[in-house]
Amino acid sequence: MNKREIDILDVKSDVIADNDREAGKVRKYMREKKVFLVNLMASPGAGKTTTLVRTINALKDKYRIGVMEADVDSDVDAATVQAAGAKVIQLHTGGSCHMDANMTFRGIEQLGMEDIDVLFLENIGNLVCPAEFDVGAAKRVAILSVPEGDDKPLKYPLMFQVCDLLMIGKIDVKPVFNFDEEACRKYVRELNPTMPVIPVSAKTGEGFDAWIDWLTKEIEAFRAAEV
Amino acid sequence: MKIIELNRSVTESNDRDADALRAKMKEKGVLMFNLMSSPGSGKTTLLSRVIRDMKDNTRIGVMEADIASDVDAIRIEEMGAKAIQAHTDGMCHMDAGMTERAFDALGDEQLDIVFLENVGNLICPAEFDTGAGKNIMILSVPEGDDKPLKYPLMFETSDALIITKMDTLSYFDFDLELCRERVRALNPDIRIFPVSAVTGEGMEDFENWIRECKKEW
Repeated sequence: MNKREIDILDVKSDVIADNDREAGKVRKYMREKKVFLVNLMASPGAGKTTTLVRTINALKDKYRIGVMEADVDSDVDAATVQAAGAKVIQLHTGGSCHMDANMTFRGIEQLGMEDIDVLFLENIGNLVCPAEFDVGAAKRVAILSVPEGDDKPLKYPLMFQVCDLLMIGKIDVKPVFNFDEEACRKYVRELNPTMPVIPVSAKTGEGFDAWIDWLTKEIEAFRAAEV
Repeated sequence: MKIIELNRSVTESNDRDADALRAKMKEKGVLMFNLMSSPGSGKTTLLSRVIRDMKDNTRIGVMEADIASDVDAIRIEEMGAKAIQAHTDGMCHMDAGMTERAFDALGDEQLDIVFLENVGNLICPAEFDTGAGKNIMILSVPEGDDKPLKYPLMFETSDALIITKMDTLSYFDFDLELCRERVRALNPDIRIFPVSAVTGEGMEDFENWIRECKKEW
């Protein structure tokens, strides 16, 4: 170990500790405002936005939905999600590869929580850095899409450890790819034995009943806990 | 403000290390390709195919960078290339210093080309020059044709873009021409190779480009 590596590690642990404090503040604020925040994470192109659009359609009669779209650049996703009927804000991270709690709080303030029951943060497409930064969400959800391969839990273990639910996305194209669902579930179980794993297709709707069920139960539990 | 300054000084010192590594490799006659992409876009499968097609005439080394695990390095070694696994231990990209240590550990005397398989990530690796002679980006069809809009820096810093999993094009809404236009708007000189490492479609053009790069190095 040379000196430089040790310095970098120190800086990093400070950053994480600061962020954890900020995340605690966000969580407290969201509890006061009675808004259920979901941090949605996945690789680029895993289908976060398509999944979100279908989820908004399933929930919007029951809850007022907000979405924070985090991107390095562009606003293509925000337009798509707004069309689905959610209150949306686009967050540009300006090159940063993850959302931290402070950036999330700025998004929350800008969007305004007075007319929102459920808020989704669509994190930056990245399986590495977002896993390290608690944004203060009530629940963390990851999507792993079939074309990415069943070995991803072996290669990006932290993401699978920190999440409360995993969707296996694009399940409709499973016959086209060499994706061993049982092997994938086994890798995931080793990292996070109690995490629910739900195969879904945002295109065909397969698996959405189970996902919406889980989400609704969690939202209701959060709202009930407040009284 | 402090964070921005720290970031800049890290990048500047990395650029110096990268130039030094590039010069060292040039002296040894080794050309390094830095392969970058999202997780699961097919870096290892593509590399396996390149090794199979080229190993009779080219001495190939591979540096597999991963946060954890050694599944890729094992696959690559089975294909007949010299491989080393570099664990970044949580880091989301390879920098020039880490690359040099991996390169030294690989042992370079007998090699013509070296591939660095970077950590699966479209953001951070684009910011860190590893000292490679050429940067290659891989975008797979299932990820979608809008990725150049969302991760522009990666497309700007690459010399070649390989569009993989072309055999699955009919299952996805991926507009190849639209994707090309978006990429060219960011980087007019980039070479674009649509391929399928499974069927072999387009692989010959890509491998010929690798040979040309090596000749010019």
